[in-house]
Amino acid sequence: MTRPVRISTTDRFNPMIVLTDLVDGAKRVHLWLAFASDEIQNRYRRSKLGLAWIVLSYLIFVATISIFFGTFSDLDHNRFTIYVAINFAIFTFLLGNITDGCAVFRVARTWISSVPLPHSTHIYKSIARSLFVFTINMIVAMTIFFLYGYKLELVAWEAIPAFLLLLVDAVFVQMILGYITARFRDIEHLIQSITRILFFTTPVLWVRDEHVSRGMRSTVSELNPMTHALEIFSAPILGRHADPHSWMFILYMSVALFVIALVVGGYSHRRLPYWL
Amino acid sequence: MNKSDAPGTSPNASGLPAIPEGDDIFLRAENIGVKFEVSGNVREQGLSEHDPRLIWNRRHQLRGVKALSDISFDLKKGDRLAIIGRNGSGKTTLLQTLAGIISPSEGRLISRGNITSLININIGIQAEATGHRNITLRGLAAGYSRKEIEEKRQGIAEFSELGDFLNMPMDSYSAGMRMRLTFAIATAFSPEILILDEWLSAGDVAFKKRATDRMQEFVSQAGILILASHSHKLIMDNCATGIWLDGGRIRAAGPVADVLKAYEESMT
Repeated sequence: MTRPVRISTTDRFNPMIVLTDLVDGAKRVHLWLAFASDEIQNRYRRSKLGLAWIVLSYLIFVATISIFFGTFSDLDHNRFTIYVAINFAIFTFLLGNITDGCAVFRVARTWISSVPLPHSTHIYKSIARSLFVFTINMIVAMTIFFLYGYKLELVAWEAIPAFLLLLVDAVFVQMILGYITARFRDIEHLIQSITRILFFTTPVLWVRDEHVSRGMRSTVSELNPMTHALEIFSAPILGRHADPHSWMFILYMSVALFVIALVVGGYSHRRLPYWL
Repeated sequence: MNKSDAPGTSPNASGLPAIPEGDDIFLRAENIGVKFEVSGNVREQGLSEHDPRLIWNRRHQLRGVKALSDISFDLKKGDRLAIIGRNGSGKTTLLQTLAGIISPSEGRLISRGNITSLININIGIQAEATGHRNITLRGLAAGYSRKEIEEKRQGIAEFSELGDFLNMPMDSYSAGMRMRLTFAIATAFSPEILILDEWLSAGDVAFKKRATDRMQEFVSQAGILILASHSHKLIMDNCATGIWLDGGRIRAAGPVADVLKAYEESMT
């Protein structure tokens, strides 16, 4: 049996290394699950309520919004609460991946500069952590549905492929942002100010269908990828087919993200340890 | 003594020698160079003497640092190499390159066999987690299964002599305790190529003795040891050949006693 020879040499630009890294990282599932569970435990260590804070902070937000903003919408109160519950859960997950992506390699710098792990290990860890929070939020959302007497319809299964696609996109987004912010620290601040705007330009607090008339708000929200990401996931759960236009938007965006990840990763992979 | 005396260096450095067949572990550096890119606004301040490692552009702005140039050597199983040199001579950069943490900007590094590296004592641990948890994490990071880790846990605990401290978070450990644990973990999984930085000299006499014993046991199992250190004794006890790095280049290479003597004479 001849064991493989490892050759490490100069790669000025090598997009293939991104694919190798993604596959190698995925194989280390025990490692990134262990890291993710450690981080979740650390975050809530020494707090009395611990993990219950995930449920609480979600409930506080949904309750507040449905009481204060419910009157601005044409939907009745129950329907609006359900609408906010599902949209806020997926919105937090997606937004969390953007903000975590900015720091994904920075917070792992001690590991990156001491153990030659695939870079994607750190990305998977980060996503696993936000997936855990998302799962809890979805369980609470389903409980709210039940209490309000809302039943899922058959069309709800369409949310599953939508979520899987968004999960894959999260990997690319974190990779792109992780490398770019490692090199250009200013980008992280820029992203932070953009995410604040995303909260208002995405139909989480307001209902997209009520603002179809041409206007500033509708134009901005149509250009906002988050609007379409929410549409393909939430619409089936709320009992209707998602807008095909939104599916196309997200599909094109996924391809674009994949290509950008290859280019950015192909250039940055070798240089990351120098930048941190 | 000059560079062509480097152990195992092929006489025709221009033609690349063939990759060894079979299953034997080896590690070969072929004209490795490492350049750090700098993108700040450091300007040349009319210095009369330049450090040749700094790379300036035409507008006298600092563009990069050539940390290593033209490093070549060839190690086979059983080889024990010491890396000697002053602070800032490129020792740690070379070790990081050999460990696969940073990739060379010039040349090639070819190896066969598991590489375990202990380059900085403080890195690669989860400080909030317990010692036992870190044994698991380091083991997983090194690519071992949970079963293999559990098999080694007892041995690691004994070698580290930490006892019940293994149930405490690592940020409550002293530097010496951390070092004992990381060394115990790294050497527990019988690595084939072991790369150690000088931090080992932080241990007390008793630990150094046991560490040396363990390294010798490891090398007798036909591994490769690469050790960077300032400690004369540690080097003489553990290494057979040496490389003297000066300004990112190999200044001398050969039997460790000769290299160390030349290095120490240059200091006085």
